[in-house]
Amino acid sequence: MNYTEQIREIASRLLESGQVDMVMAWEKGAFDYQSLPYVARSREDIDKIIFDDYSVHNLSTSLLRYRDSNEKIAIVVKGCDSRGLIRLLEDNQISRDRLYIIGICCSGVLDPLQAMINNSGFSRAKETPGPAAKCATCIQPNPVIYDELIGEPQEARNPGERFEEVNEIENMTVQERREFFEDIFSRCIRCYACRQACVACDCRTCIFEETRPQWVGRETSISDNMMYHMVRSMHMAGRCIDCGECERVCPMGIPLMLINRKLIKEVDRLYGPYEAGMVYVEGQKPPFSVYDEKDPDDFI
Amino acid sequence: MKFFKKGQIEKIVERLAEKADVFVPMLRGQQSGFFSWKSYDENYDDIIFDLLNVYSPPKNIILPQTEKMYSFDQQGQETIIKPEEIPVEPKVIFGIRSCDVKAIEYMDEVFLTRTFVDEYYKARRDQVAIVANACYNPGTNCFCKSMGVDHLNPEAADVILREVENGYVWESKTDKGDILTKQVEDLLEDQEVELYQPNRFVRKVNYDGVAEKLKDLFDHPMWERYSDPCQTCGICTYMCPTCYCFDVQVKNWGDEGYRFRCWDSCMYREYTLMAGGHNPREAAKERFRNRFLHKLQFFNERYGTPLCTGCGRCIVTCPAGVDIIRMIELIKEAEPSV
Repeated sequence: MNYTEQIREIASRLLESGQVDMVMAWEKGAFDYQSLPYVARSREDIDKIIFDDYSVHNLSTSLLRYRDSNEKIAIVVKGCDSRGLIRLLEDNQISRDRLYIIGICCSGVLDPLQAMINNSGFSRAKETPGPAAKCATCIQPNPVIYDELIGEPQEARNPGERFEEVNEIENMTVQERREFFEDIFSRCIRCYACRQACVACDCRTCIFEETRPQWVGRETSISDNMMYHMVRSMHMAGRCIDCGECERVCPMGIPLMLINRKLIKEVDRLYGPYEAGMVYVEGQKPPFSVYDEKDPDDFI
Repeated sequence: MKFFKKGQIEKIVERLAEKADVFVPMLRGQQSGFFSWKSYDENYDDIIFDLLNVYSPPKNIILPQTEKMYSFDQQGQETIIKPEEIPVEPKVIFGIRSCDVKAIEYMDEVFLTRTFVDEYYKARRDQVAIVANACYNPGTNCFCKSMGVDHLNPEAADVILREVENGYVWESKTDKGDILTKQVEDLLEDQEVELYQPNRFVRKVNYDGVAEKLKDLFDHPMWERYSDPCQTCGICTYMCPTCYCFDVQVKNWGDEGYRFRCWDSCMYREYTLMAGGHNPREAAKERFRNRFLHKLQFFNERYGTPLCTGCGRCIVTCPAGVDIIRMIELIKEAEPSV
């Protein structure tokens, strides 16, 4: 998958005509297996823009930086990333008329982070890894919202296997589950990369940064870590768009998507059929943004 | 020359572990770091003396991520304060690389010099003996030599191990090292072995003049630009062997509780948030700039070296691909703005 030329053409058209002030895409890093987010702001920047197999990042998260400004922004999104745009639109974080959406029909990407680790002497694996873990069960490879589309529509990948790991955890005994979660959360170093990479985390002040009161302690203890992850995942209910960025960026290998997928499954079961960010209808809100008298409350 | 065969290495660690808590580089499932030999599980853990380095730096052995300082209990008019006792068990960091040894030297500067001695740090540091593993085969993103680190002769090491064909050379450098040598003496052989020629570094960077140049670049537009990909997570600072910033926090239940310190990161909003609500480093640009200025300018002004040992971890672990080597190059290329 390499759409560099097409994106450069669109970018130069948009920047030269003044239709947008910036184009969010990728540039090449120090290695073939490294692509990183790049913002082109003028004609001179266009030659740096690329889109290749390593364009893994969900750039929609970066739009939050511009939520208080007026710039018009062109953004390149894959299928999953485009669902993030819908979340931002639903939460009134950015207005549709400020965006020019360049959608990519995505055949799956590779993870530059994993490739960097494998090639830098920190891992037993020496080869460049295969498709990013987050692409293994992709339900939406094609953009759900766009102004211009690149590539041929792709088929979903193994959608039937999406909840397999969730089911495994559900089948554990309470004790086994507790041990499992204690093990994964005891690793957390509280770098907050999972929050920062998340497009659904669009609060201006995060609960984990509140000091009066301090809702969650700053110790890296099992209790504070559990509290952090429990609150983080609950806040994802009805908001997670399954882009997998949180799990990809976690330096401790915590299976965050396992938890998010459980919430996706439960929201769909209790309030569904529902899947966050699949279609944009102006004024429509996700389940946990509205109150309805018919909402289930038998767990209270 | 004192020498031992590769197959003996676990025996050596075991022997040292009779008198100290020995920390060894391991892959433990998804984790990669220095773990206590006491917790070693041969069915699960993978000891990695043969790999370049571990992902999580060993700084937590001397500067734990969360460290209790004292507890308090308010009883009527009186407050009883109980200082936290720091365990006095000797520790050995075994197989640490030169970049990470240099990082401990920098932390020593911060916590033990310039008129203030941090007692918590000192208590732990005094207990630590360093058995370093000299680097003959730098990794793809290693640039320690460019940052003034002698990868073959780590200064603060008590013992230096040198990988040779079939084994390691054991070189004691200090009194602490001699004590360790005595403990393992019967496992070492006297033998003349040929040392490897070190491989060349793949990546290099020239730090000369960067600290001085940065003085005029505080308001340069490049910070806005180069911080574009940065998501202001704490990975680069927590994976950095030299980043030592901490916050002091408290936990209490009614009238009793404890005070502790924990790692903090200049990437976080709370790091610079002031009581009145103002935040001088509101966005990625300011935090990103501070990180590089601290590493490449401020630390140099106070201690005469950059606060970077070229271990390459931040380059490898940044989810957004920020690269400190590239940043140093860009700083060198930048035209000071008027």
